[in-house]
Amino acid sequence: MNVALRLLGLLVVALLALATSALVGGSYLPVGDVFYALFHPHAQSDVVTILWQLRLPRVCIAAIVGAELAIAGALLQGLLRNPLVDSYLTGVSPGAAAAIALSVVAGVAAPLLPAIGFAAGLATALVVAAFARRGAGLDAIRLILCGVSLSALFSALVTLVLTRAGPAYAAQILAWLAGSTAGRGWSDLFFTLPYASIGLVCSFAAVPALNVLRLGEGRAAAVGVNVSRTQWLILVAAALLAASAVAVSGSIGFVGLVVPHLARRVVGGDARALLPGSALLGAALCAIADAASRSIAAPAELPVGVLLAFVGVPTFLYLYLNMQKVRA
Amino acid sequence: MIGLREAAIGIEDRVLIAPATATIEAGTFVAVLGANGVGKTTLLRVLSGALQPSSGEVRVDGMDPAALGPLERACRIALVTSDDAPVDGLTARDVTASGRYPFHRWWEWSESPYDRAAIDDALVAVGMSAFAERRFETLSSGERQRIWIALALAQEAPVLLLDEPTSHLDVRIAHEILALLRAQTRAGRTVVCAMHEINDAATYADRLMLLGDGQMLAYDTPERVFTAGLLETAYGIPMEIVRAASGAPRAFASGATDAGASAGGPRPSPSPNGRDTGRSA
Repeated sequence: MNVALRLLGLLVVALLALATSALVGGSYLPVGDVFYALFHPHAQSDVVTILWQLRLPRVCIAAIVGAELAIAGALLQGLLRNPLVDSYLTGVSPGAAAAIALSVVAGVAAPLLPAIGFAAGLATALVVAAFARRGAGLDAIRLILCGVSLSALFSALVTLVLTRAGPAYAAQILAWLAGSTAGRGWSDLFFTLPYASIGLVCSFAAVPALNVLRLGEGRAAAVGVNVSRTQWLILVAAALLAASAVAVSGSIGFVGLVVPHLARRVVGGDARALLPGSALLGAALCAIADAASRSIAAPAELPVGVLLAFVGVPTFLYLYLNMQKVRA
Repeated sequence: MIGLREAAIGIEDRVLIAPATATIEAGTFVAVLGANGVGKTTLLRVLSGALQPSSGEVRVDGMDPAALGPLERACRIALVTSDDAPVDGLTARDVTASGRYPFHRWWEWSESPYDRAAIDDALVAVGMSAFAERRFETLSSGERQRIWIALALAQEAPVLLLDEPTSHLDVRIAHEILALLRAQTRAGRTVVCAMHEINDAATYADRLMLLGDGQMLAYDTPERVFTAGLLETAYGIPMEIVRAASGAPRAFASGATDAGASAGGPRPSPSPNGRDTGRSA
């Protein structure tokens, strides 16, 4: 009961964040005009164009990316019973970055980059999972070690490309690496939606098993959890979510690591509440961060990823350490 | 009913227990005894279907447990393992409720009234109703063990396998746990329990399965298994059998394995009564 109310609270917070993000931006739009434009998308005015072509797609993308990264983080933290894991654990982000960097240098057309990033991110995750196989299932320690080492390899590759490519290429690669929703449109949103939906369904299919896995793999297997199948289901779901997020917004850190922890404090550790709670909180956080990235230095843009790290990390550490003190 | 027919127990190609045949009747309490590393846990894993026997066959209620799907297996066999993974942020009731996992499809997220009744009954059976909303990590080891057993009871499986449920528990709590397992056999459940406390096993179990020397040394009543010869073979230390006031057999290791001195001569026997009252408070 209580948990349902808290989830409802998070939903309200997320909706408010989306609304705020739609109202705020490089150019000031009167609230009344925004509301008028919202319900008259075919009217001819600058407000309609700014809202429908520039702001709304970004707000939606920021929210979906935030939700995807938060769910992926919550899934992997739960599967590996490790609070330090984030949504990019399996090398999704560096894998995508390396492929994008190489494609940019090879002169691949910009509209193809999200698809390449998505495919490379997903492929990296599957390669890491293949290395981490033990019997039918996955070995948690090997998964983490393979993920970390492949990430290091691909990051090195990106650095190599950056140092060898000309400044024009480097700028294009860096813009992508920084993690940003600048200039994203409806087509990016439609690209990510199918994968996000599949990832979401897989995540929610894993919820009951995820709850029982909190007792440890041995105890979970004793009550009938098919541990290896659950591991693959969760891994594929997390990889799909993270890769489709990376494909449209580049590498946005912090969300996948931190949001599940914050959500756990609000709605508790039960996966039935934790996954929706993480999704709502991640969406709210990214929508607000996107609004801030557009307005703080307007008309220039700050990358969302950088902003989230600068503001979010100290805030999170402060909140988390203080809460620990209260509990102890 | 659990049947072993010429079943050898082992891990991969290393056989721990030579082929043996035994039948565990429904509603009995069987204690599996033997030294550390003799294969007690492996035997439980084979009975639970998590592992195939190296050879021969194992049947639980007429079915090969290893051939069952994990969910169906969990409805027939409940296994209380001894692994001690930390559990954080769950209440005692949450842990118990995990026993209802095999009865739900993946989209069925809420507890049915029947689930709730099964969970409540399990908590009552282990005497933990008052602790239902306590956080698991704040419970004592005896209380945690009760909750692990409650989880298994909530599975409502006719066969209950337990791996050392009384290790690390004080005398009184160990006896309370064995008594509640004993009570489960009266409700028709079959209880197979690996344990180290041989005298507790003799007190509570209908039959003892004694493992040692790479084989099943004995599977019989405590009266017949408690011979110095069998227990010495199993544990590799001289044993002395005495009688409690109740007439039940008790075994005590009679001192260090000082090879020559231990070979059978008369020695002052420990006061059976004093020892016994200490154990059955």
